[in-house]
Formats: sequence, structure tokens, C-alpha cells
Amino acid sequence: MAGVAGAWIRHDPARTTLAVVGIALAVLAATVLAGVGVGVLATAETKFDAADRDLWVTGGPVRFDPGTVGGIENTVVDAHEVADGVESRDGVETAVPMAFQSVYVSPNGSDFQTHVGAGAPARGPSVSIAEGNPFRNDDVHYANGSYDGPMTHELVIDRQTANRFDVTVGDTLHVGGTIETARNHEFTVVGISPTYSRFLGTPTVTMHLSELQEVTGTTASDRATFITVDVRDDAETAAVKAEIERAHPDYEVRTNEEQIRAILGEQAVVLAAAASLVTLAVAGGLALTANVLSSVIYQRRRELSVLRALGWSRWTTVGTTTLWALFLGLLGSVLGVLATFPVAFGMNRLVGSIVGFDGVVRLSPRILVGGAGLGIAVSLVSGFLVAVLVSRHDSVAVADR
Amino acid sequence: METETRSNDETLLSCRSLTREYTRGADGWLSRVRSTDRPSVTALDGVSLAVDRGEVVGIAGPSGSGKSTLLHLLAGLDEPSDGTIELAGTDVTALSGRGRTRLRLDHVGVVFQRFYLLPSLSARGNVAVPLIQRGRSKRARRDRAESLLETVGLGDRAAHSPDELSGGEQQRVAIARALVTDPDVVLADEPTGELDSATGERVLELLTEVADDRAVVLASHDDRALRRADRVLHLRDGQIIDDG
Repeated sequence: MAGVAGAWIRHDPARTTLAVVGIALAVLAATVLAGVGVGVLATAETKFDAADRDLWVTGGPVRFDPGTVGGIENTVVDAHEVADGVESRDGVETAVPMAFQSVYVSPNGSDFQTHVGAGAPARGPSVSIAEGNPFRNDDVHYANGSYDGPMTHELVIDRQTANRFDVTVGDTLHVGGTIETARNHEFTVVGISPTYSRFLGTPTVTMHLSELQEVTGTTASDRATFITVDVRDDAETAAVKAEIERAHPDYEVRTNEEQIRAILGEQAVVLAAAASLVTLAVAGGLALTANVLSSVIYQRRRELSVLRALGWSRWTTVGTTTLWALFLGLLGSVLGVLATFPVAFGMNRLVGSIVGFDGVVRLSPRILVGGAGLGIAVSLVSGFLVAVLVSRHDSVAVADR
Repeated sequence: METETRSNDETLLSCRSLTREYTRGADGWLSRVRSTDRPSVTALDGVSLAVDRGEVVGIAGPSGSGKSTLLHLLAGLDEPSDGTIELAGTDVTALSGRGRTRLRLDHVGVVFQRFYLLPSLSARGNVAVPLIQRGRSKRARRDRAESLLETVGLGDRAAHSPDELSGGEQQRVAIARALVTDPDVVLADEPTGELDSATGERVLELLTEVADDRAVVLASHDDRALRRADRVLHLRDGQIIDDG
């Protein structure tokens, strides 16, 4: 049986290649889309883990929306005051407000483009600097409860922003909430960092929070997206969380995990769409593989009929055909899994260059084995079923019709 | 009309009152469900015959007379609507599909007009195919196939694929394949139908040579083929009109 199945593989290279490529595409679609699904979730987790904070204080649901103004809603009012109040509590190491706001950016004061501005302390262990330096100081513009301190005009940008405006460390960028304001505020790029662009999923310019508020005209309400809280090593996170909730009942306090859940919960439609895509990819893979095998086996119906006429039992015929389908499934699955690596690499490069996410397609042994298993199992099952149907008849007259 | 034919201890293959009716449009399950009153066509009508060991029986008749239907029934490739078939002492009509397949493997060699060689296998592989079902070792299959290819004059073409062989060579490979299980009965359906006269003669020679210890049934409308038969049954409209 293996000899005949092997001969079928060798005899018609074009048909074999088409069948193998069809199965490989099905496996590839399944692995890459599953990789995207895992990557999206992993990226969200990584973003919050990378922020290296224990608790998140927000004024309500936080919605990621990188394509729109600001990226994230700023729901915390009087952010500096609230942050100071939180930081003064026992068990709290630091409490840092952060904001995200749409701004105009220009390298020369004339060609302005809308961009996402982040107000955050671009310094400390949670910020990864690829080139240049982090901020030299804390947020000194917000001094003694007012906005009277000196503006540092320091800016940390990501690689995509640097490429977009063709600037590097030491160059300047005009940034402001309006074009007029931006013309009057020239910031110096002190460092290149992927930290905040990864967090938001879009190219970002990062400055001190009070300076972002100053150039966007939001100092009056002192808004922030959230306040991140570091809990002391010797303190209980849950206890600190409960204490902050009691002191600030208007705000929600969440752990990293709760914050991810809250954000993902806001993105139910996106998640449903992603789940649908993955489901469709798997279903499409199943259908494509089954269809390819049905087609190639059906084209062999005359040979199967002849084998039956020569005295082969139905199960020998089905076994040979299933073995052949298994060979095709194995070849297609191996090819599909091998093709997954360059495709995932290419997609990651592409997505990385556009929005700054590295690793939006995450491959794991489970995904690769699952993809290969899908291709092999579907080939085996569909090959068997089609062979059973095709080998019903043992007359060559059937093949002549 | 039913024509009685002789039957004795040497009879390897016989059939009695063999009838095959086909119902028009009954191939699909939907057509079977939708209609209960379908016209039927009688392809074979009450045919009886007996073939002895060492005998070559020709089946003559125009296209559509029922020659191929009769051969398919005798080979167990189809089931009769009525009548009985006995092959090597076994009532074929009492067998299940699996039983008929087994009987065909053990006792029948079939030669088709269109050869029906498997294009993916070499001449040797094609001849050896039935032995796979027999569970023979690869070496045994190879030896047996090469020996038969020598017999049909194709010893030097064993490794060639069917598309590298002429029509006559392909038919000789098909004959070798029909003989590979050493069957009691060889059924040949228009074995020279697609061959030129010289090649056809060689194929017919070969078929009559193998009849020494087997029964051979040869369906054809080629007079050259029928002249080589010990006797010829003439079929028309599914009935034997002359048992010569």
C-alpha cells in the first residue's frame, strides 16, 4: 500500500505540489492567525507588566483607541493632587500620574502632523532607552502645586517617530495642543525609547506630564489617564488597594491583571472580531484541506475503481488512499509550519515599522504543533472519508462515466 | 429467450437465466427518492452459458448488445437482477460484495479494452498490483511480475511507465496483470479494440495460449478475435441468439 501511495506522490509532481501547497496555506493561515491572537493578548500583558506598577488608579473605564485623539481617555482630574495623596499613604512607594493626548508635531515649525503625546516620567527602571538618555529630572514644571517651575523641553520619542520626522537625539521638535502653541514650544529629543509607543500601540512623543498639560492647555483640570502606584516590598498590595479605594471612592483601583481585563472588556467587539478571525482561519483551514484532498482523491477515482476491479478490498483501497492523504498532509503541514517563521517575521517587521509593536505574531510550540496537527488530522480524516465514498463502487464502468 | 448450455465436471464458469436491468435515472439518491415509477432497460435477458477448463468462449454482438454487462456480471463487478452465476464451484450471486471481491482476486483475471493500467506505476508495478492484496512480499511480487512480463515478451520493459509503452505493449502488460494471481478464469472485454491488426493478433495469440489450463471468455465484435475461440455465443439485445 505504501508503495502505491508513494508512487501517487511521485507520479504527478504538479498535482502533488498543488495539494501540498493548498494544505500548507491552510496550516499557515491557522498558525499565523493563532499567533496574532496570542500576540495581541501577550502584548497587552507585556505592556502592563513592562510598566512595572502594582496598581492603577483610573476615573472609570480606560479605552485604548490609538487611532483617535489622545489614544486613551483622560479620566483622572486633579491628577497631581490625587497622586500626592496616594503617595503619602503607608505602603505606597510611588504614585505617578500619566496622560496621553493628541498633539501637533513638526520638525521645522511649519509642516505639522497630529501625533500622540504622552505625559509620563521617561526615566527609571521601567523605561527602556535604546539611544540617548532618559529625562534628567523629575517633573519640575509642576512645582509646589502650580505650573510655575521651569519647563525642561525634554522629549523622548520612539524609533517610528524619529523616522517619521527624520530626527535623532539632539534634534528638536515643535509640539503643542494647537499649531500656534506648538510653534512656541520647541522640545529637544534626549532619547529614543520604544516603551510608550509599545504601551499605546502607536508612535508617541513623551514629555513630562505637566509640560504636556501646559502645551495642550489642560493645566486647569490637571487631567491624567491614570495614576500608577508602586507598593512597598513589605506592604500587602491588596490592603493598599483597599485603602486607596476607601480614600478615593470616585476612582477605580485595579491590579495589573484587573486593568488588562478592564481594557480588554472595553474592546469586546475587537476581541469578538479577533476570535471570529481565528475561528474562521481554523474553519477555513479545515475546509481548504478537505476540499484539496477531496479534489485530488476524486481525480483518482478511476484508479481506485480499477484497483477494486483487480481484487483489492475496499479497505485496502481506502487504506492506501488514506496513507496517500497522510503523506500529503505531512508534507503540507511541515511546509506550512516552516513557512510560518518567515511570514511571522515579515509581519512583525511590518507591524513594528508602522505602529511600533514588536512581536504582534507570537509563535509558540503549542501553536506550531497545533497547526501541524490540524493539517495532518484533517488530511487523515478527510482522506479517509472521501476514499470511503469514492471506493463504494468496484466496477470500472463507474470510472468511465 | 434463454439458451441452455452444457455443464460438466470440467466447467469452471457458468451462469443460468442471467438478467440485468438498469433503472434510468436511478444513480443519485435524490432521483431514487423522488420517483418510484422509472423506466428500466434490460441489458441482459435470461442468458445461460458454461465455460470449461481449457476452453476459449467468444461473446459476439454489436455495441450495446450486453457483452460488457455479461463480463462484468461474470467477474462479480456487478450484481444481476435475476439468475445465478457459479465460478469455481462457488455461487457468486450468494456472495456479499466483499466475497465477490475475494473470489475475483483468487479466481478471475480481467483484461479491459482500455487496459486500465495505473499511470503512476511501472509495468512491473502494474502487474504486481493484485498481489499486494494477497499479502505477498515485495520480492515475491517483483519476481512473479518480471516472470510474467518475460512471458508476454516485455522483460526489458519492466521499469517503463505505461505512457512509455505502445498500445500493444500496454495490453500485454494488462494480460500479464490478469494472470499474476494464476486465475482459473480470464475475462477479456474487447482486448483488441484499441490495437492495430498486427498487434491485435499477438495479443490474441497470448490470450489463447493461456487458455491451456483455464477458461477464457473473450467479448469482442472483432472477427479475428472470435475466430480464435472454440465456440462463439452471439448476443443481441441482451439475449443469446446463437450458441455456436
